[in-house]
Amino acid sequence: MKCHGVRRLFGAYWDDETTQAEREHLEAHFQGCAACRNEYESFSRAMEMVAALPRYEAAPDLLERTLARARRSSPARDTLPARETPWVPVTAVAALLLVAAAFVSQWSTLASGPRAARTTAGLSARVGLASGTGPVASGATGEARFDANAPVASATDSLFDHSEDIEFVLDPVTLRRGQATVTQPHQGLHTERAVISF
Amino acid sequence: MAPDRDPVLPPILSLSDEDLMARVAEDEERAFGELVRRYQGRITNLVSRVLNDRECADDLAQEVFVRVFIHRRNYRRGSKLSTWLFTIAANLAKNEIRRRVRRRNWFSLDALQEALNDSAMIFADRREGTERALEREQLQKEVGRAIATIPEKYRVALVLRDIEGLAYEEIAEVMGLPGGTVRSRINRARTMLKKKLQPLRRKEGDS
Repeated sequence: MKCHGVRRLFGAYWDDETTQAEREHLEAHFQGCAACRNEYESFSRAMEMVAALPRYEAAPDLLERTLARARRSSPARDTLPARETPWVPVTAVAALLLVAAAFVSQWSTLASGPRAARTTAGLSARVGLASGTGPVASGATGEARFDANAPVASATDSLFDHSEDIEFVLDPVTLRRGQATVTQPHQGLHTERAVISF
Repeated sequence: MAPDRDPVLPPILSLSDEDLMARVAEDEERAFGELVRRYQGRITNLVSRVLNDRECADDLAQEVFVRVFIHRRNYRRGSKLSTWLFTIAANLAKNEIRRRVRRRNWFSLDALQEALNDSAMIFADRREGTERALEREQLQKEVGRAIATIPEKYRVALVLRDIEGLAYEEIAEVMGLPGGTVRSRINRARTMLKKKLQPLRRKEGDS
């Protein structure tokens, strides 16, 4: 082993962590190499100087000061993860509720629209039946149209909600798969339309 | 904190570090006091030697124990208490070094040496001749100063090994490094220190 290899072992030699073979080799090298011997002396002297440093004692009031600060410190947390406010789930649920509310609101508007229209139509039909004008007359043209200007106010005073009423519309209107079509009445034949509401 | 516990429990002084820490985790003030008493010297010395600043070391030592108290329930039973304490202390000391470097406002080492000399003179052993005591104190200050000039990552390892006498394995745990890296850092630190102390050896030889 050359000088470089020997000097790399100084630390282990100082710590007494060399193998028996390494130690013997190192000591044999020191016998014949004054430079390495001096280097090791220098190294060991530095280590002794460090080891001889006086130990600093703790400040006399360290214990009291530490206890005082510990008393003021917040209570320790559990090692288990704390049950923190589940902001993320709460936010997600709130968002879902909002979406659901918006959907329901929209759905109810859509659902009530045709129903209202149907009711309005029914009412107008009834009104038309009573007055002998309106959709019945227009129905003769082959087109089912609702008169927006038909007087419906008179029918809205009912105490009952007729929105869910089932309407049976007799000839000339037939229902096919939910779509009302108006059949052409016979020429010259004055037909009447009856709407039965429950 | 609960001031005291059932008197039938084993006395605090005879408890192992682990059992002591378990009692600290149960908010027992006397157990925490005993823990501080057991380790305050070693922690103060470690931090003082790494920073070469006694005043700051007192504050940091206090901070180490306060952190132990705050995180008392995070201590894993089975791990060595001293390793945990040294880890906190070494990290705080490293942070302090980095903070000083960042701010670049830490007072000069010369000023520190002067202050230390003054305080050392007060406590110097009066039975020794004043001159000799001064020489000895001066040498120690120079050694402390030389250690303080070693780069932080080597310095902490050196202090843990050559001043606190920790085993390499424990230093590796404290520093969170592989054993080989720790050995290499300590070797580098020792080599640097040897070079820095070379002039002192000559002075020593002259006197």
